[in-house]
Amino acid sequence: MRSFLFNMGYFIKESGRIIRLNLLSNIFSVIGTGLILLLLGIIVTGTSVGNRLVVMLNEEAEVNAYFSKELTSEEVEQLIEKITNLDGVRALRIVDEDEAKASMQEILGEEAKILELFDDNPFEAFIEIRIDIEVMNSVIEELRGVDGIEYVRDNQEILEKIKDITYALEILGYLMIAAVGITTVIILSHMIRQGIYNNKEQINTLKLLGSPGIFIGFPYILTGVFLTLLGGIIAVIAMVLLINGAYNSLGATIPFIPLPPKDELITNMVLWLPVLSLILGFFGSLFGLSSIGEKS
Amino acid sequence: MIIANNLSLVYPDKTQALIDVDLNIKAGELVYITGPSGSGKTSLLKLFMGIEYPSTGSLSVMGKPIKNNSKGNIRKIRRNIGPVFQEFKLIKGRTSLENVMIGMRFLGLTPKCIKKEANEALEKVGLGHKKLSKVEHLSWGETQRVAIARAVARKPSLILADEPTGNLDYDNAINILGLLKSFRNENTTVIITTHATHLIMEEQNATFISVDGGRIRIERKG
Ligand SMILES: Nc1ncnc2c1ncn2[C@@H]1O[C@H](COP(=O)(O)OP(=O)(O)OP(=O)(O)O)[C@@H](O)[C@H]1O
Ligand SMILES: [Mg+2]
Repeated sequence: MRSFLFNMGYFIKESGRIIRLNLLSNIFSVIGTGLILLLLGIIVTGTSVGNRLVVMLNEEAEVNAYFSKELTSEEVEQLIEKITNLDGVRALRIVDEDEAKASMQEILGEEAKILELFDDNPFEAFIEIRIDIEVMNSVIEELRGVDGIEYVRDNQEILEKIKDITYALEILGYLMIAAVGITTVIILSHMIRQGIYNNKEQINTLKLLGSPGIFIGFPYILTGVFLTLLGGIIAVIAMVLLINGAYNSLGATIPFIPLPPKDELITNMVLWLPVLSLILGFFGSLFGLSSIGEKS
Repeated sequence: MIIANNLSLVYPDKTQALIDVDLNIKAGELVYITGPSGSGKTSLLKLFMGIEYPSTGSLSVMGKPIKNNSKGNIRKIRRNIGPVFQEFKLIKGRTSLENVMIGMRFLGLTPKCIKKEANEALEKVGLGHKKLSKVEHLSWGETQRVAIARAVARKPSLILADEPTGNLDYDNAINILGLLKSFRNENTTVIITTHATHLIMEEQNATFISVDGGRIRIERKG
């Protein structure tokens, strides 16, 4: 142990030498690892955005009920009364044509000009109903049965779709983690093996002088961890640029998508990609090192 | 220091390198191993270092068995040996000093102490001025001295020098033998193999092992 600490400087120098000895392949392996980790980062971020959407849409257990235009305002009053008394309905309010138009204008932003193409207001008044998520489906059924209600629009379908996509992304994420793990470990263990092969004379001499295995192997572990960490850092930088870019362009075009806070996504990447690359680097080099072990 | 009973070594290709060797080398002895080429001198040293394992019989070095011992324990024994290999086995691309230092790094010494003692060892073999030269640029005799410095800088209990006089002229051979002998003391055993029997005939206080066809004969003087 003492020898180990005393030799930290030597280990670092050795690891630098191992990297220089095969510089070009090492650079490519760093780039390769970086790209693979970047792919993983993209999928993990996609999953987390999807999850966020599902949670938000779930919380927004809200349906819009459109009623017949023939109804008098008195009849509408009665209708509202009826709906309020349904089990599972928490709150409701009427959204008239003007408000419907205004909110769409807000969503469309600059594109709202197209609404001016209509002579009349194309929007209809509707009742916005907040309902208990637990009994959502049965309430929707009941609503559909109420006299005077023509059409109930809920976000169930879109919610299911996003759930499916997120689930698929999640599975893809797991597959990616497995793929990234295996690929990185293999790339790295090959690099380490190459390094060991280039230095086999020296390694043999060290064995003959009685060097413990850890002393021979540690510079290679250091090398492996350093190379993957470098790949990880490249991936983080690319991810940060990507997330920033995506938020800048998405934020402008589709403002109503409830994206998670940008900083949260970035923090996740900054924390997890380097940690993951450290772990992969460690195991990759250990795996590569197993080729030293054969004979004393 | 080294005890062998009925020791024999057969290589995987069935070459019988050593047959029925009985030995008892004590701490502090100076031992010369002589014999024609291919007689088994290097094989004997390889056994002492645990590079080869006995095919039959038993061998212990510094009280530790060489057969049926773990890799870790064999390395531990080697850490207490200063080997000068027939082909030197220095690490190319490194300076003399780095080569000497690398052999000391896993002995629990501080970096400062390693540097100081490596420098001293190089001075002692007369190569202080070449300590920053890459070993592949040194002459044969200089390379040999670096190998010796690496072996002795470790302050081992056992120095094993395989054919250190090979390829050297008379004067240099005498010098190298004198240098190796100078490391012998009550705690340090020095074992040297050599073809050059004429150089050691005069020796008064030493053990002579002559190997022929894998069998040994021992003679002690002094
Ligand atoms: N790894 C090996 N595999 C098979 N045979 C070997 C091996 N090493 C040595 N031998 C054989 O064992 C015998 C003894 O070899 P060794 O190297 O011990 O001789 P030596 O006395 O050191 O010779 P030299 O004076 O030329 O160095 C020789 O016949 C040699 O060919
Ligand atoms: Mg030999």
